[in-house]
Amino acid sequence: MLFKEDEIARAEATAVRENAAWYRWTHDLVKVTGEDAEKFLDWILVNSIAGLSVGRGKYTTMLDENGGIIDDLVVFHKAEGLWWLSTLYGPHAVKWFDAHSQGFNVAYEDITQEIDMYAIQGPNSAKVMDGLIADSVDDLKRFQIIDTTIGGIAAIVDRGGFTGELGYEIYCAREDSAAVAEAIEAAAAKYEAPRLKTLEVYVRSLPMEKGMALRQDYKGLTPYEANLGWSVRMDKDFLGKEALEAAQAEEPKRAFVGIEIERESYEDIAQNEIIRKRGVPVGICRQMIYGYTVDKNIGFGIVDARKVPLGTRVTIGPNDSPAVIVEPKWC
Amino acid sequence: MALLEHVDTHRGVETAFGKIIPEKEAYSYCLRTIAAFSANIFQVMRVLNDDWEDRTSQICEIANMMNCAACSGSEEELFDYLNAFYDEWNIPELVKRAAWIGAIWGDYGDEAEDMAGRVIQFTEDRVEKELDSCPWDIVGSEMCNMTTAMFTANFDIAAGGEHGEITNDVALNMCEARGCGNPHCRVVAERRDTFDLEKQDWLDHRGQAYLPVHDTPSERRVKHAQGLRNGQYTNAFGEENSLEWQYNWVAQMGWVWSISFPLIAIRDMADDDDEFERILKIVFATAGKNSFIDPFAREGLRNWLDIPREIGDNDPRVMGAYIQAILGCQLVPYEFEAFDADGVEIRVDQETFTGRFEMAPLDEITLGYEAQWNGACHTLVSPEWSVWIDEDDDDFIINVGRKVDDRAL
Repeated sequence: MLFKEDEIARAEATAVRENAAWYRWTHDLVKVTGEDAEKFLDWILVNSIAGLSVGRGKYTTMLDENGGIIDDLVVFHKAEGLWWLSTLYGPHAVKWFDAHSQGFNVAYEDITQEIDMYAIQGPNSAKVMDGLIADSVDDLKRFQIIDTTIGGIAAIVDRGGFTGELGYEIYCAREDSAAVAEAIEAAAAKYEAPRLKTLEVYVRSLPMEKGMALRQDYKGLTPYEANLGWSVRMDKDFLGKEALEAAQAEEPKRAFVGIEIERESYEDIAQNEIIRKRGVPVGICRQMIYGYTVDKNIGFGIVDARKVPLGTRVTIGPNDSPAVIVEPKWC
Repeated sequence: MALLEHVDTHRGVETAFGKIIPEKEAYSYCLRTIAAFSANIFQVMRVLNDDWEDRTSQICEIANMMNCAACSGSEEELFDYLNAFYDEWNIPELVKRAAWIGAIWGDYGDEAEDMAGRVIQFTEDRVEKELDSCPWDIVGSEMCNMTTAMFTANFDIAAGGEHGEITNDVALNMCEARGCGNPHCRVVAERRDTFDLEKQDWLDHRGQAYLPVHDTPSERRVKHAQGLRNGQYTNAFGEENSLEWQYNWVAQMGWVWSISFPLIAIRDMADDDDEFERILKIVFATAGKNSFIDPFAREGLRNWLDIPREIGDNDPRVMGAYIQAILGCQLVPYEFEAFDADGVEIRVDQETFTGRFEMAPLDEITLGYEAQWNGACHTLVSPEWSVWIDEDDDDFIINVGRKVDDRAL
C-alpha cells in the first residue's frame, strides 16, 4: 500500500522516471529444451514463437482451454534448442506444461533458484550499464538477450523490465550475486542511481502508471478483453484458440479498465473489491496503488463492458469510495 | 437477484424451525463463538494464575513452540513444507519470500478469521499490518501478547539465520491491540540489523515501531474482511480463497491457535486435572447463565431462530434449537434423536465434536459446552430444564431434559 505522503517511495519512483535505479529480482525463470521445444512453445503460447531468432525475446500470453489468460510472460530464444521463459511464478507454468506436453519431445525446468537477477531501470540506465558490463548496450534492441561479463563474472543481460522506461535485466549465478550487486552499486553510484527497496514501487506503482499489469490482473480474461489482442496470432494453432475464436465473434462481455479514486487514499480497497454503478455491482477492482508520476490513486479493474464505458462514475468498496473509469494507462 | 439464479449458491445453516441463517452470518457467528470459548478458557487461566507476566509468558512460549513445530523436521522437510506453501499462495521469489513468509502467512490467517484490515507496508526491511476488527478482541491482553509469539515463530520458521534456530531476525511489535482497547491492532516487523534493534523476550512485543506508522482514518476503515465483503480473499499475489474455504479453515484452525495451544500451558497451571476441570466448569457455567439474563436476549434468540409462538418460553426446544444453531454454524455434523416438548436429544460423533482440527481433539469442548449450555438453559428456558452430555459408543448425546440435581452449579 502506497501513500502520497511517502517520500521514500516517491524518491524511488522519481529516480526511475528521471534518472535510473536498480533492484534485485524481476521474475521467475523456466528453462525449456528439447527437439520439440520451439514447436511446443508455439502451440502453448498465443504469440508466434516459431522462427524467433536466437538472442531475441517476445511478449505473449498463455491461455487455458476457455481462452482465458493464465499467465503472461516473455519468451527468450537463448541459444539453439534453449529457451528461457520469464514468468511471475515458475512452478505454476511447470505444472501447466506437465499437463499439456504429451506428444512433445520437450524438457522444462524452473531454474529460478539457480539464478539471481537484478534490474536497472530509467532513462540513464544505459549509461549505468555501459560502466558495468563488458559489452555495450547501445545497439541492444527490446527483449534482446546477450551473454556478457561483469568484472570478469559471467552474466546475461536483456533489454527489458517492468517500469515502462528504458531498462535492463541482469542474470548471474547465485554464488556470484553479492559480487554482481556490489558492481552494480558502484556503477549506479556514478549516476546517483539508488537501490530500490519498496517492492510496491517497482512491482506495482511504476508499471501500473504505464499500463503494465501482472498476470493475476488479467486472470480469466481473453487477450481481447485485456487489450492484448495485438499479441494473438490467429494464423497458427495454439491452446485455447477455439474458445478464443468463439469469443472473438461476440462483443466482449468484460473490459479491462483503469480506475481513479477520488479520495486521499485507498485503505479500504482490497483486490477484487466490488465496483458499483449507482449502487449496482458492475465489476471488480484488481489492484489500487499510488502513482507518484501522475500523483493519483490509480488502479485496474474488470467491468461489464456494456454498462461501464470510459468516464463512468462508480463507487468502490465498503465505504463507497467515489471513482471514475478511465483508460488503463496513465503516462 | 432472482432466487432462481442463486438458490444453489446461497447456502446457510437451517434452524430447527426452517429459517436459513445465511452463510456469511453463520461464518461470523462461528468465529465469535470460538472467540467466546477462548475468552472463557482465558478466564480459567486467570483464576489459576494471578501473575499476569507469568501466565502471559507461559502461553507465549507454548504458542511460539507449537507454531515452530513446522521446522522441527529435517531441513529438506522444511523446504518441502515451505515450497508447498509458496505454490499454494503463488508467492514469487521476487518478494524475497523466505524473509517475509510470516507476514504472508499472517495476512491470510487474519482475513480468514475476519480480522479485517490491510498490509500497510511490505518492504525488504519492514512489514506493517493494520486491523480494524477482530472477533477475538473479547479475550484480553494475554491473547494479544500470545499472538506476537506466534508471529515471531512464523517469521523465524523461514527467515531465521539457521535452520531450527529461533534467531528473531525481526523486531516484532504489536503497537496497538483492539483486545487492549486500541482502535486498531497494528503489528510491525522491522529487521533488527537494518534498524539496529534489540532481541526481544516474550513480553517485549507490545512496544512501538521504529519507523512511524500509518493510521487509517475512520471513514476508510472496514468492518469485515474480504471474504465477507467480496466473497473471497485475494492475497497480494493474486491467489484467491473462497469464503467457503475460509469458513472451513477457520472452523478447524480457530480452535487450534486460540484454544488448543494456550490450553497446553493453562492445564499445567493447575495442581491437577481435577482442579483444572472444576474451575473450567464453574467459569463456563457462569458464562452460560449470563448469556440470557436480559429478557431481550431471550426474545432476540427466538427471533433469530424463528421460534414459533406456539412454543412457549419454558420449552426444551428453545434450548435445543440454540445448541443446534451453534453446532450448525460451527460446521459440526449432528442428528436430532428427539425434538419435542418432553426434551431434545442431539447426536454428534465424538471425534468430530471434540476434534474440530482432526489432529488436535479437545476434550475441553465437551466439558466447557456442557457447563455453559446447562447454565444458559437455566436462564433461557428455566431451571427446570438442564443440559447434559452422555456417551453412546462413538457418539455423544446432547440432552435437554428435566433433571433434579441437589448439588447443581
